[in-house]
Amino acid sequence: MLDVKPSKAGRHKPENAPVWARLILEAFKREGIHNLVFLPDTVMGRLLALAEADDVFRLTAVHREEEAVGILTGMFLGGQRGAMLIQNTGLGNSLNALASLAMAYKIPFPLLISLRGELGEFNPAQLVMGRAVRGCLDALGIQHFTLSREDEVEIVLDGALKTCFTAQEPIGILLSAQMTGWKDEQ
Amino acid sequence: MIDRREATRLAARLAGPNPIVSSVGNPTFDLFGVADRPQNFYVWNSMGMASSIGLGLALSRPDLRVVVLDGDGSLLMNLGSLATTTMARVPNLVHVVWDNGGWEITGAQPAGTSFGVDLETIARGAGFRHTAGVETLDAFERAFAEAMAADEACFIAARIEDGGALKHRPSKTLTSLRDRFMAAIGA
Repeated sequence: MLDVKPSKAGRHKPENAPVWARLILEAFKREGIHNLVFLPDTVMGRLLALAEADDVFRLTAVHREEEAVGILTGMFLGGQRGAMLIQNTGLGNSLNALASLAMAYKIPFPLLISLRGELGEFNPAQLVMGRAVRGCLDALGIQHFTLSREDEVEIVLDGALKTCFTAQEPIGILLSAQMTGWKDEQ
Repeated sequence: MIDRREATRLAARLAGPNPIVSSVGNPTFDLFGVADRPQNFYVWNSMGMASSIGLGLALSRPDLRVVVLDGDGSLLMNLGSLATTTMARVPNLVHVVWDNGGWEITGAQPAGTSFGVDLETIARGAGFRHTAGVETLDAFERAFAEAMAADEACFIAARIEDGGALKHRPSKTLTSLRDRFMAAIGA
């Protein structure tokens, strides 16, 4: 059996991390959020590389996004804060756990979602879920904010995290491709 | 075959002060009915999530040995969590699955476990090195005691007989379940 400890961020390098990634991790640190539970995409991969280089953060990968809701619930029950990092396509895989666990039991954590299917999308199969993200969150009663520019990350995220822990519920933080970029593929 | 309420009572006793996460339906109703204690976290819905909750708890609390009481139907919904537990390298998780071959609470419809699906083999394939498959209460007691004393993640598939559903229900004020549990484990 393969028993090695590969980089959880894969090929991404911390020195190439964008400013928004650093700002997000700094905001997490200010709120004592040290667990990052994720299913990667290329956007989150850049943030995860930076986080992995910082001993403050523990990275926990999952195989299906719904697991992250359970893991973050367990971590909160154990006295630790964390964040869920997924692509919007994984929101659909998480809906019942968000509704029946995180919302019902009032488990607070930021739900970071990198947005495919909006600006600059090349993949037609991403479009429908891309449009549905905010509607899904609204239907569950999960408050959400969109980060579109690096100069608003700090203030919006600080405020959202404070609200998240006041409300004791997950809060959606959507990362727009306006800030994170999109792929060249046509 | 194992009487799952006897086995549940046994698990709660052998768990000592360690936390138990119980899956939706009969695992939760049984645990509440025969061994309510503040170190129990009762899942009221969220089918499949008990193993993930247990993993998060184990990661955040290396000082505790976390017990998950799961059902075969629930685990089959979240088999990937077994692989995730391996990837997270937690040493302090004991994952028990009550296997009655299906979804008893909804009318005893057979699931894959009635057609040759072997959860212990799946757990081994997912990377659990310490596993057991038991069919008697005595064998369960031995396997569970060994798992509680081990220093790695353990998986026990326990073949149980159908036992109907208890009428006992834990609190429906879910934040009170949450808060009681957190206070009990000092979170």
